Amino acid sequence: MKKYHATVFFSVMLAVLVFIGATQQSSSDDAEIGEPAPVFTLPGTDGESYDLESLQGEFVVLEWLNFGCPYVERHYRTGNMPALQKEFTEKGVKWLSIVSSAPGTQGYYESDEMNEQNEMMGGMQSAILLDPEGDVGKMYGAITTPHMYIIDKGGVLIYKGGIDDQPRASYEKTKLANNYVRAALEEAMNGDEVSVATSRPYGCSVKYKK
Amino acid sequence: MTMNFRLVWAAVCGMFICNASTYGQTDDTSPYSEAALVSESEWIAPGTGFTVGLTLTMDEGWHSYWINPGDVGEPIILTWDLPVGFSAGPIQWPYPEKIDAGPLRSYGYSDAVTFLVAIMPPEGPPEASVTLSTTADWLICEDVCLFAKETVSLSLPVRESLPAPGPHFEEIAAARAKLPVKDPAWTVEASHYSNSFALRVSPPTGAAQDLEGAYFFPAQIMLLEHAVDQPMSRDGDAFVFALQQSKYATELPDRLQGVLVAREGQYLDAARTVKALEINVPLRTAADQNTGSTLPILILFALIGGLLLNLMPCVFPVLSIKLLSFAQHNKLDRATRTWHGASFAAGVVVSFLVLAGLLFALRATGSQIGWGFQLQSPLFVAGMAFLFLAIGLNLFGVFDIRGFSFRGLSQSSASHSLMRSCLDGALATLVATPCTAPFMGAALGAAVVLPTAQALTIFVFLGLGMAAPYVILSMFPVLLDKLPRPGPWMETLKHVLAFPILGTTVWLAWIFGNQVGVNGLGLLLLGLLLFAAAVWILGWWPSVRVTSSVRNVTRGIALVIACVGIWSAYQGAQQESMSQADATPDSHWSDYSTEKVQQLSSEGRPVFVDFTATWCLTCQVNKKTTLSSSTLLSAFAQKGVVLMRADWTSRDAEITRALESHGRSGVPLYVLYPGNNDSPVLLPEVLTESIVLNALASLPNRAEALKTTISTET
Repeated sequence: MKKYHATVFFSVMLAVLVFIGATQQSSSDDAEIGEPAPVFTLPGTDGESYDLESLQGEFVVLEWLNFGCPYVERHYRTGNMPALQKEFTEKGVKWLSIVSSAPGTQGYYESDEMNEQNEMMGGMQSAILLDPEGDVGKMYGAITTPHMYIIDKGGVLIYKGGIDDQPRASYEKTKLANNYVRAALEEAMNGDEVSVATSRPYGCSVKYKK
Repeated sequence: MTMNFRLVWAAVCGMFICNASTYGQTDDTSPYSEAALVSESEWIAPGTGFTVGLTLTMDEGWHSYWINPGDVGEPIILTWDLPVGFSAGPIQWPYPEKIDAGPLRSYGYSDAVTFLVAIMPPEGPPEASVTLSTTADWLICEDVCLFAKETVSLSLPVRESLPAPGPHFEEIAAARAKLPVKDPAWTVEASHYSNSFALRVSPPTGAAQDLEGAYFFPAQIMLLEHAVDQPMSRDGDAFVFALQQSKYATELPDRLQGVLVAREGQYLDAARTVKALEINVPLRTAADQNTGSTLPILILFALIGGLLLNLMPCVFPVLSIKLLSFAQHNKLDRATRTWHGASFAAGVVVSFLVLAGLLFALRATGSQIGWGFQLQSPLFVAGMAFLFLAIGLNLFGVFDIRGFSFRGLSQSSASHSLMRSCLDGALATLVATPCTAPFMGAALGAAVVLPTAQALTIFVFLGLGMAAPYVILSMFPVLLDKLPRPGPWMETLKHVLAFPILGTTVWLAWIFGNQVGVNGLGLLLLGLLLFAAAVWILGWWPSVRVTSSVRNVTRGIALVIACVGIWSAYQGAQQESMSQADATPDSHWSDYSTEKVQQLSSEGRPVFVDFTATWCLTCQVNKKTTLSSSTLLSAFAQKGVVLMRADWTSRDAEITRALESHGRSGVPLYVLYPGNNDSPVLLPEVLTESIVLNALASLPNRAEALKTTISTET
C-alpha cells in the first residue's frame, strides 16, 4: 500500500508541476493583483461623491489615512507623501485618501475638521474619502495606515502594500527609502509590468469599528 | 542619532498638541513603557561569555512586538555601544502572545518582557569595571502606536574569578524559560498546498499531550495570514495544523520557521516542561519535485534502466547477433567501427524519441495517460495484471510471440552501411518494447507527467543507456570475448525473470483487491486462470501435432475461455462502485460532477464543492475540523446547499478542468456556487466554521430558495 501511495503521490506531485504557471486567484470580492479592483462609492470631505467605477480610464491611487498615526505623520511632515501626491496628480492620477477610522477612534474627523487637518499636513491628494463603517477598508483588506493600492486605467489592481521599504526610517531618511508606489506608477504609466506588485504594508493598525 | 530622534519626537508631540491632547505627553522618550538592562552575573570575567537582558516594562494595555510583529507593529531593535573587544549576540526572542485588534492580529508582548543577549568579553588584562550600553528602539501600541527609544546601560566590575550570579539572575533565568525549546525528539514536517501550509507535529513517544489550542507563530513576515484561525486535527500520534498563506506572500521560503506555543496554562508535552517549541523545518512543496533536485536522479535511473534492457531476453540476442557479426569483420578500422556504434545509438535514441512522441500525442489528445493515475482505475489494473501474466507465461515458454524475427536482423548485420546500423538500433528498440514495460514503468510514468523538455531528456537517456554497451564494444572489440555467448543459459535467465514478472501480477492483484474488495479480487484471479489456460491452448497445442480442424476448434475454445476470463475480471472491476458506496457512509456529500453543478445552479440551488485529496494534509484538517461540524452541516441544510466532494487523490481530468476554471492548479479549493447568476465564491484554503457561515449568510434561506426553484419551474 505504501509503495502504491508513493507512486500516486509522486505522480500527482508531478502533475501539479505540469500546471505550474497557472495564475492563482481568489474570491472576486477581494483586492487581488491582476484582478479588477473592487468597486465602491464613498463621500468625499469636499462634499462630492466618489465612485471608483466612474474613474475608469485613469490611474487611481488609494491611500489609507489616519492623521493620528505616527507613521502617517512621518510621511506627511517630511513632505514625502504630499510630494508624491503632487507629482502624480499633476500627471493625471486620481489620488484618493481613505479614512476607515470609526467615529471615536484615532484619525476620525468630520469633513470640515479633516480638511483642516489635511491643510496643516500639506496633503495634495485629489480627495479624502470617509469610510467610518470600514466596509471599503475591509473589502480591500487594508490593515495599516498608510496602506497603498494602485489601480490601472482598466480598473485592474496593479499594486498593494507599503509605501516604501523603510518602516523604521528616520525623518531625514524618509525620502531616501525605495518608494514602491512611485516605482509602480512610473512603470505602469510607461506601459511596463509592475516589478514589485506587493510588499509588506507597515504602519499603525486601521482603527476599524469594533 | 539623538538629534534625529529629537526631531521625530518633536513632530509626534506636535501632533498630539494639535490633537486636542488626547494623551497627556511629557518629554518621556519611552511613553507607557520603560527599558532596563540587567545582567545574570555579578561581575565579568575576561573571555567568559554571559547573558544580559533588556527588560521592557509596559503599562497595562500596551504592547511591544516579536521578531515577526504580525499584521502591524515593529520588532525592537538594539544598537549596542560596547567597550573595545566586546561583542553582543542577536536578540533571543521569548515566545510571543497573540494581540488581537478587530480584524488584525499582531504578535508581541504585554506587561513585561526580557530580551536576552549573549555578551562576549575579550581575553586580556581586566580593567576595574566596564559599562555596557544599548539603545533600544521599539514601537509601543495600545489602540494607537507610538515610537519609543531609550538608551540604557549597565556597569559591571571585572574580576578574574568565574562570575557569580548577580541580583538579576532569577529574572534572566525566568526569561530563559520563555525561550522556545529546540528538541530534535519531536518530529516536525511542513508542506505546502495551493495557498496553504500543513504543519505536522509528532511528540516524542510517551510525551503525547493534547495540542488542542496550541498556536503556531510564524517567524517569517508576510508568509501566513495572521488573523486566520489554525484548525488542528489528529493524525494518529501526530497533530496537523492547517495554516493559511498570506496574500502578501511573494515567494515560498525553503523552510518554515516559527514557534509552536501551547495554550495558555498548558504544556506541549506530558512532562509539562515544554511550553514553546522552536520550529525550523524544510518546506516540502510541489516545486520540490521539480527539475532541479529530481531530474538528475531520474536521468540516472533512465540510464541504468536502458542498460538493463540489454539483458532482457528480447534484446540480448539482438545485441549479441549484431556484435558477433560485427566481430567477424574485425578488419574494419576503429573509426569506422565507432561510426557504426554511433549510428546504432542514434537509431535507438531516435526510436525512443518516436515512442515519446507517441506518448505526448496521446497525452495531448486528452487520454492523459500516466501510469500512476491509471493505477487508480481497477479496469486498468486488471488489464496490467493480464499483460504481466502473459509476459510471465511467455518467459516460461508457454507461448511465443511471432512476428519478430531475429533472422532479418542478423541478415541486415551482414551489411555494413551506417544506415543499416541505425535501422538495427531502431529495430532493437522495437523488439525491446514488450520487455520495457515492467522495468521502466516508473520512468515512463514520470516522463509522461513531466514537462515535455524534461520528459524527452528521460527518453534520450533511456536510449543512450540501451545503446551504451554496443557503442563501447564497437570501440573496444577486445571486450567481445568477455561477453557470454547466447546459449541455453538464456532460457534459464528467461525462467528466472518470469518470477519477478509474475510477482508484479501479484502486486497488481493486491492493488485491485484494495480497490474492489475480496469478491472482485476472486473474479480477477478466476479471470487470470482462464486466461492462462487459453494462452496455453493457443501456445502449446499447435506444437503438439494435431489436424488443422482440431486446431481451429481448440483455438475457438481458447478464445471463449479467454473471453470468459476477461469478462470475469471485468465483473470484478465493477465491484468498485459498491465497495466505494459502502466506504463512504458520509451521506451528506455526493461525488462531484460539473454537469450536476451547472444543472443545480440553473435550478437556483446553491452548491458547495470541497476539492480535496487524501494526500493533502490541509484538506484533511479542514474536513475533520470544519466540514464535518454539525453546526455547519445544519447551516448547509437550512440554506438548502447541495454538498459535493471532488476527490483529486487520483488526478481526475474533470476535476482538473474544474480547478483550472477557478484559476487553480491544486487542492485545497472550496467553492460556493450561490445558485443565482452571481459568480461562485472561492473560500480560503484554510477553513473555519465562521468563514463558511459568513459565506452562507449571503444566501437566502431554504424556503426562499425553494420558492425560486418553483418559480423557475412554472
